[in-house]
Amino acid sequence: MSDLGTIALMCSLALSLYGTAVPHLGVRSNNWNLVRSVQHASILSFLLITLASAVLLEALVSNDFSIQYVWGHSSRDLPLFYKITSFWGGLEGSLLFWVLVQSFFIMIVAFRYQYTNREIIPYVLATLNGIMSFLLVLLIVWSNPLESQAVIPQDGRGLNPLLQHPAMAIHPPSLYLGFIGFSIPFAFAMGGMMRGILDNEWVLTTRRWTLLSWYFLSAGLILGGQWAYEELGWGGFWAWDPVENAALMPWLTGTAFLHSVMIQEKRNMLKIWNIVLIILTYGLTIIGTFLTRSGIINSVHSFTQSDIGPAFLVFLAIILVLAFGLLFKRIQMLESEHRMESVLCRENAFLAQNVLFVSIAFTVLLGTTFPLLAEAVRGTKLSIQAPFFNTVTAPMGYALLLLMGVGTLIPWRRTSMETLKKNFAWPFLLAFPVTALIAYGLQDQLWSWGGYIIFWLSFFVFATMVNELFRLVRIRSSQSENSATLAFLQVIRRNYRRYGGILIHFGAVLIFLGIAGKFFSLERDLTLIKDQPQTIGSYQLIFRGVREFPVENATHRAANVEVLDHNGTRLQFLNPAKSFYPTQPQPLTEVGLRRSFWEDLYLIFSSENGESGESVTLRVFINPLVGWAWMALPVFTLGIAICFLYRPGRLVARETILKERFKAAEQTMMTS
Amino acid sequence: MKKILWKRPGFWISWASIAGLIAVFAFGFSTDPKKVPSPLIGKSAPDFVVRQLDGNQEIRLSQIKTPVVLNFWASWCVECRGEAHVLEAFHQKQKTSDKPLTVLGISIQDSEENARAFARQFGKTYFLALDDPSGSIAMDYGIYGVPETFFIDAEGNIRHKQIGGVTATLLNQQKEILFSL
Repeated sequence: MSDLGTIALMCSLALSLYGTAVPHLGVRSNNWNLVRSVQHASILSFLLITLASAVLLEALVSNDFSIQYVWGHSSRDLPLFYKITSFWGGLEGSLLFWVLVQSFFIMIVAFRYQYTNREIIPYVLATLNGIMSFLLVLLIVWSNPLESQAVIPQDGRGLNPLLQHPAMAIHPPSLYLGFIGFSIPFAFAMGGMMRGILDNEWVLTTRRWTLLSWYFLSAGLILGGQWAYEELGWGGFWAWDPVENAALMPWLTGTAFLHSVMIQEKRNMLKIWNIVLIILTYGLTIIGTFLTRSGIINSVHSFTQSDIGPAFLVFLAIILVLAFGLLFKRIQMLESEHRMESVLCRENAFLAQNVLFVSIAFTVLLGTTFPLLAEAVRGTKLSIQAPFFNTVTAPMGYALLLLMGVGTLIPWRRTSMETLKKNFAWPFLLAFPVTALIAYGLQDQLWSWGGYIIFWLSFFVFATMVNELFRLVRIRSSQSENSATLAFLQVIRRNYRRYGGILIHFGAVLIFLGIAGKFFSLERDLTLIKDQPQTIGSYQLIFRGVREFPVENATHRAANVEVLDHNGTRLQFLNPAKSFYPTQPQPLTEVGLRRSFWEDLYLIFSSENGESGESVTLRVFINPLVGWAWMALPVFTLGIAICFLYRPGRLVARETILKERFKAAEQTMMTS
Repeated sequence: MKKILWKRPGFWISWASIAGLIAVFAFGFSTDPKKVPSPLIGKSAPDFVVRQLDGNQEIRLSQIKTPVVLNFWASWCVECRGEAHVLEAFHQKQKTSDKPLTVLGISIQDSEENARAFARQFGKTYFLALDDPSGSIAMDYGIYGVPETFFIDAEGNIRHKQIGGVTATLLNQQKEILFSL
């Protein structure tokens, strides 16, 4: 069976190589049928990779340990759900998943844009198939998940228990969807440059791809944070580990790209910059994967490493050299005719935002690779840890938060001080007493500047959004004499794309507040004696005994802790535990977590004291506002959905005309 | 107006950055990040004097007569939280042991307040101190990151260096080795 899958992958590689070369031939010989054939090749390729994936999935579900990957990442006692998720639990499987999604996307692109982007689509397909060929070579030669082994073991080694968490079902695929999604705007930019068509076509056409990729990358990051928070058991969600940075960097440049293409769309500016940004974003997805998979950088949790590194580096070098080579070849065609008209305008706010995002991305890249750089240049080993990243990125983060409030509200082209005053005066002033109020509420906690800056800025941003909406609704309802609710709906409908964006900004504020909450988190080691209440924060904790119980394929040894509020009313029982997996020598931490609107009570079982089970030591965290950061995900989902519905009028008109023209041409060709 | 390609600053900056990045990554294959060799192993431990974080007691490494577990940590370090309890429990065990060790913790790149708060939170009772502002102790020991732990025998020679968090098993193992010398 496994041979069938490998053969399918090889056939798919042949088809991808065909798809890389033939579109160029088709254009050169003016033979559209050749380009057409690539469409069909893309369907076949997708089906073949689906077949290979099905073979792997079947092997995972049926415990076929003759396949090395199944033996290394699964075991008989693994619950079915995690047998399925172990598909992307290791390097080889996740690369197959990558190729599967990439081939699906190529198929969509091949058909969706055949009429509407006829001039550049051959080049786009060639680029995407080139990427695909490379990934398939990596997959087949260096990390084939379908490799079989001669001796068939009785049982597998099991999936890393850390990866046995519901978030792991969605977090990696979500990140991959984001990574792979950015290959589409990248391919359109490359296609445009190869063909020499450098208008705004690629930006408008790939707008939805950019939105979706950004969304999946964001969702992946949020879910990853949530997983780290609940599973790694140190009370935080972000540690600037190289693996985390790898996913963050393309998100940063991708977010910059998402914004700066709007300037190209509206004002026909920043054409070169946008191409640079998409090259950087796609390049960083490859760099990120390279860093985490090659093992050249020390990470607390790089889960799988292999000798795939050098090949990946070659891939990266080819992509960067070709992309920048093309860019410099076409650079004169990309110079823009427009200049900024005023200092105070939305374009400049966007530009400042762009500079900040790219600076943060650069800082993170530098920090992540600096140990290598230092060793290469000076021969000394050193490491860059959290304080560097926190210190350098914090001020840039604050500035971004500020711009998020300002950028959406100042007009394009130019603005006056009066407009600024009207939009920002009361949010600016009101943010002070609100922050003071929060400070009063938190007075018994540690003082933290960072936290208060974020509170002030968050409220400022939030108030500007509300202020703007109120203003427009008031104008609208006074003009049309409609009720406020109706006027509100009308305001939203008239420019729903913008409000989708504002909603996403609101989600970003929630993330910032979640981060601010960490500044005020309380952390103690408490030794609890059986049945004696201890107070921490506004809770009382009573240890009721140690229990042992099976959970799926593990055994949990848990401290049973009764949680009461300050009045002595029982809230719930928590069971922070150590979990023992049969395949793992070390026990893992299972957090006891009580969520509420304002804060999380987070318990970790440190140790049992003495033999009799009369006392335990717990590490207790009280983390204010952390749960708010997770709320950003549904907000992003709604916001992106709203933005996704919108299609620029110019694009719709253009696509309709082109579609009709080419369809008609084909009709006449067929009848004649 | 046409600008000549190679007269653009972006042209050279782009190519130089790409070449630099690829070169650094390629260099990465020649090194193993997990292996941080310490030339100090087998040599005598660099001496230092530090003042206690909570209190005024001063201690000189060379005057400690027992073997020493010298742990470098910081309040901002995530992995140090994981090992905090292990080290403290190990220190408590030494009080009743017939072959006691000294546990010494030195916080680097840290502020006094934060280090104190950290020590209180985790109930650390062993001797804690702050590296001097220029980080000279960390420099002497060639600290690569935190946490790192050195195992020093009774004669003051470094016997082992551990990168990353310590476990109870490792501490006990190393203790046996230190006393078997």
